[in-house]
Amino acid sequence: MTKALIRDPWSRNRLIRDSICRAIHHKMQLDPTVYLLGEGAHMKVHFDAPDIEHDFPSRILTLPISEDGNSNFAVGMALGGLIPIVDVISSDFLYRTMDSICNTMAKLGTVQSPKTMIVRAEFLTGGPTSGQRIEAMFTHVPGLKIAIPSNPIDAYEMMKSALSSKNVTIFFEDRMIKDAWFAEPTNLPLTPVDELGITSRGDEATVVSYGITHALAARALQGKPCMLFDLRTLVPLKIYAAIESVGQTGKLLVIEPDAKFMGISSEIVAQVTERYSGVGCWCLKRLGGPRSVIPASRELHDLMIPTEADILRAYEELTS
Amino acid sequence: MTNQKLFAHPEILSILYRKILTIRILESRLQSYCDVGLAGDLHFNKGQEAISVGVCAALKKTDRIVTHHRTIAHQIAAGAKLGPLVAELLGKSSGVNGGRAGEMHISDASIHHAFSFQLVGTCIPVAAGLAWALAHHHLSKDIVAVFFGDAASGNGQFHEGMNLIGVHRLPVLLVCENNHLAGNIKSSFYMPGNLSVADRAKAYQIRSQTVDGNDLGVVVKAANEARSYIETTGAPYLLECYTERLSWHKQGQRDVRSKEELSKLAESEPLVRLTKSLGSLIDVPTMRREIELEIDRAFVECVDSEPPAFTEERTDE
Repeated sequence: MTKALIRDPWSRNRLIRDSICRAIHHKMQLDPTVYLLGEGAHMKVHFDAPDIEHDFPSRILTLPISEDGNSNFAVGMALGGLIPIVDVISSDFLYRTMDSICNTMAKLGTVQSPKTMIVRAEFLTGGPTSGQRIEAMFTHVPGLKIAIPSNPIDAYEMMKSALSSKNVTIFFEDRMIKDAWFAEPTNLPLTPVDELGITSRGDEATVVSYGITHALAARALQGKPCMLFDLRTLVPLKIYAAIESVGQTGKLLVIEPDAKFMGISSEIVAQVTERYSGVGCWCLKRLGGPRSVIPASRELHDLMIPTEADILRAYEELTS
Repeated sequence: MTNQKLFAHPEILSILYRKILTIRILESRLQSYCDVGLAGDLHFNKGQEAISVGVCAALKKTDRIVTHHRTIAHQIAAGAKLGPLVAELLGKSSGVNGGRAGEMHISDASIHHAFSFQLVGTCIPVAAGLAWALAHHHLSKDIVAVFFGDAASGNGQFHEGMNLIGVHRLPVLLVCENNHLAGNIKSSFYMPGNLSVADRAKAYQIRSQTVDGNDLGVVVKAANEARSYIETTGAPYLLECYTERLSWHKQGQRDVRSKEELSKLAESEPLVRLTKSLGSLIDVPTMRREIELEIDRAFVECVDSEPPAFTEERTDE
């Protein structure tokens, strides 16, 4: 067995996926119009969601390797009164669907009544065209919601919420968030997610993040008296409470897994700056990915997002 | 049923002739609005009207239509009310989509016009998804008729959509309005040799037929047959209708074809062909006056209608 497989069995992480599938199964029980579709849909459901395969075999639709056509097909299903959950597989394949998602889906709610449509995609670690983090790009497109859960409980709640709103949601799943970081949720639904996104409290600094970098920050900053916020969705960007928190702590650390340049942290820092412009001064640190194609090599891949050590170091520099 | 046979049914002929004439007069009126800046970047159907009118005549009321961006003909063919249509084309809030869709993204549930989108080819996979929903979820016998141009067959969405329709044998009537043009570009730039769109359908095991799209009677007959085939078998059908667009591709893009070429093409356009043979079956001057009055009313109705309210999407909720 190779060193990489022993060290990082990312491909077998399944807790977040299980929660997403359980939320979908739950919704399918309540609503006969929910359908799962995409490349290899039957195969994926067979391995990932046997309950769905058992209970709703006629609501799974395997489509060809034609990502853009498949997402446009999903629009047609929505026009026919259905709720499609179209699985595009890898985040990189979303580039193939830019037309159907950004032109067709995103604009449909402007020109006629809004519909519920979910696009699923995973962050993988396959390299240049199978492992890129591209979520920030979609924040510029009106008509799209963007969800990225950092843990299994949120994943369940967020998918339920996406399936109940008349919006187009791109729902990302991060296969690098390790199962070992969480206890297996046994009786979902559990606690409703905190509306303000606060996952720990304190007055030393304000830390804002999402997805895998929030999961890493929660581990790296365990025991630190900081306000830790998990954005969960990039659109909508609910940072009112985080902005208010900076007023108390005077220190802000923003961590993102996507490229830092022109990234999510830029918007957050800009909103904080507008809020406190001329009122007081505050200290800032940003961590994020480099502007670089994520390579295939597992060793290099690990350098593409801030590590727990990076986060702890940045926090200590900020608060010292 | 050629035009000649259609003449044996004067009541149907009158309804369809009226629709073609309405499209022609409305588009001509809209052109004058475009010329003085009162209407935007509209795309007209002059010369192609027999296809949308003929196909819609063969559809059941509950069938859906999905269209490309050149939608005025299809709206009228499907029975749209002129007031909300004109208001939509002029971007007024009293339009059928509140003035937010315009000509190229219009839809109207009341006439089962489910979708139209500007991007060439998109309508085909969307029609496939809609047909899947009708056949497999609603267990309906309704079909989806999707209209597109021959130039769309050079686009990936055409091929992905055709593949989806072919694989799932979906109840879709694919109507190709083959005007041998992609905007202002002639077909040698996008169709190899003498290939037809019907030839392309064969690759997806979709039955097809090519007909004279300028002959209303031929289109009605072929569309009726195609619709029966789809209802009986549940399988798709591609009806390729040869035609010529006599209008510009869009505003501001003057035609690359010479006046002589256009005059020659105009000799076989559907309205001329129908009118020549009408005799006393239809009182055309009276019908024209009625249509003009109806169109006048549609424009007057929306004079005081405001543009849609501006709304910015909230980013925090």
